[in-house]
Amino acid sequence: MRSKQIVTLGLVTVLMAAVSCSEGPRRNPGSVYMPDMAYSRAYETYAQRDTNKFTTNVSDADIKIYYDATPVAGTVKRGEITHFPITKDSVGSTTNYEASKAVTNPLPEMNEKEVLEAGRLYQVNCGICHGSKMDGNGPLYNGGNGPFPIAPRNLLIDPVLSMPAGQMMYSVTYGKNMMGSYASQLSTKQRWMIIQYIQKAQGKNQPVATAAVADTTKKQ
Amino acid sequence: MNQPKLLLRRSLTACLIVVSLLIGDKLFAQDGKALFQANCAACHAVAKKLTGPALAGVESRGPWSDRKKIYAWVHNPVAFAKTDTYAADLMKQFNGIVMTAFPQFSEKEIDAIIDYINAEANKKPETPAAGAPANEPASDNSLLFGILAIVLAVVGLILLRVNSSLKRLNDEREGRPVFAPLPAYRNKTIIASGIILLFLLGGYFLVQGAVGLGRTKDYQPEQPIYYSHKVHAGINQVNCLYCHGGAMEGKHANIPSVNVCMNCHMGISEYKGAPIIKEDGSKLDANAEIQKLYSYSGWDPATNSYKNAGKPIEWIKIHALPDHVYFNHSQHTKAGGVQCQTCHGEIQNMNEVKQFADLSMGWCINCHRTTAVKFKDNGFYSIYEKFHNDIKNGKMDSVTVENIGGTECQKCHY
Repeated sequence: MRSKQIVTLGLVTVLMAAVSCSEGPRRNPGSVYMPDMAYSRAYETYAQRDTNKFTTNVSDADIKIYYDATPVAGTVKRGEITHFPITKDSVGSTTNYEASKAVTNPLPEMNEKEVLEAGRLYQVNCGICHGSKMDGNGPLYNGGNGPFPIAPRNLLIDPVLSMPAGQMMYSVTYGKNMMGSYASQLSTKQRWMIIQYIQKAQGKNQPVATAAVADTTKKQ
Repeated sequence: MNQPKLLLRRSLTACLIVVSLLIGDKLFAQDGKALFQANCAACHAVAKKLTGPALAGVESRGPWSDRKKIYAWVHNPVAFAKTDTYAADLMKQFNGIVMTAFPQFSEKEIDAIIDYINAEANKKPETPAAGAPANEPASDNSLLFGILAIVLAVVGLILLRVNSSLKRLNDEREGRPVFAPLPAYRNKTIIASGIILLFLLGGYFLVQGAVGLGRTKDYQPEQPIYYSHKVHAGINQVNCLYCHGGAMEGKHANIPSVNVCMNCHMGISEYKGAPIIKEDGSKLDANAEIQKLYSYSGWDPATNSYKNAGKPIEWIKIHALPDHVYFNHSQHTKAGGVQCQTCHGEIQNMNEVKQFADLSMGWCINCHRTTAVKFKDNGFYSIYEKFHNDIKNGKMDSVTVENIGGTECQKCHY
């Protein structure tokens, strides 16, 4: 009698333990020892601002703290070169796209190390569509078998072959047709570096920059 | 005499003609595909409206049933649009973007392209690969072992009782004084072993719980959009840095904004790969997840334009270090050359990401003690002259992170 009871008790314990352990993926991060040391008191990247204290609306600026997280127009990041001077076309217009042909690459010719870096940036950001060999056949298109429905441009033949650096910069900065803007992923300098890298691969002479680009924020 | 030879020669010629015709025909069809991919596919797809309209069934629309009009349009779209209202309306629909002129195309080449388009349009959609192998979870034996242990313990307990009963019987027979058996709750041995067992178990779970507090290994939250890293970084080979480029630039390996998603998803609006099985065993409706992205970004796939302002996707952070720890991605990736997978696990094989490492201090320190830094030709470490000299003189063969102060408290806590 007694041993039967013990056996039942044991089995029930085992079953309960099994049920409580096999609950699938862990969806709960759990708790921490000292929340005020674990969670930042300052606003961290991507943190949501307290709408009782902050506003993104200028008209509430005297009631709350006005902050919309966008830099003042014309702001130049530390160590960055000046912005691409052409603005984006309005829908249906190609005026600025045409005007961008006149803009030249402000970077001096890249040294060996910079070419390596530009190549890395190209492979990470462009190669996925335009192909590691610039033949317009990256893994996303894959000769029409990839998920991307449209053939990316082959960068080594026309129209890209005869495209001036400024117009390439326009397309990379604002996007063109089914290509999106890369301004949020690549800095102005990185975009110009990639363009010089592509033009090198196209066998073009590098644009001769009139003077080395001055770092506008460098301390004198 | 000559008759059979003539017959042979004639039949041979006939065969040659037939074969050459067959080959010629094949070449022609391939030409259409090649011409389409080289010239048209940058703006047109067969079944989908992109920069230009979808071309499936083009001959049943507007003036295009007349091949001559198609030739005229392809050779000079601007001039043709002036004479035809349908073409003019089409240009208006696409924000005034005019198709590039292809005056170099012969009529035969245009025919080949249209034949290719028709063949593609009539192709039946491929049936998806039957029954993808289900991912069966690796069998876990711990439950079996647990039951076995309990059974053995019960058997042991019963044997102990049997043993004591037999001893009592034996004592009775041999005339030794017999003590009345104590009930279990007053038996000192049982009470003592019970207390020790409770102490051990309680201690184990207490320590485990205390160590685990604040650690989130295996944390796998449900994200607002079912984003599969396996499909993106694994199957489609998108580089980690395409979306998380900040890992090379600074402290944060940034979470991509919606426009980065839209770089590809302006074009990719449906998922055609192998079915994705969710954690609960059900099949994922991947196209519905892409639609969620469109609702976040305000993109209208029907018109290929943004119809309203987007809003950010509130992704849930998985790998979170407490605020009192300083960690910098670029220090590890750019200066150290550490791969993403070293700390984040095989992200390219995870549908839903889960935390791979426990991100505890012991885990950090262990790696800092054992990892040799890439010392050679790395400008970042040029100031460690003594170590450079020691390596040159053969006094040491590698420098670990610990050697250059990687286990000092103030490196990460200040």
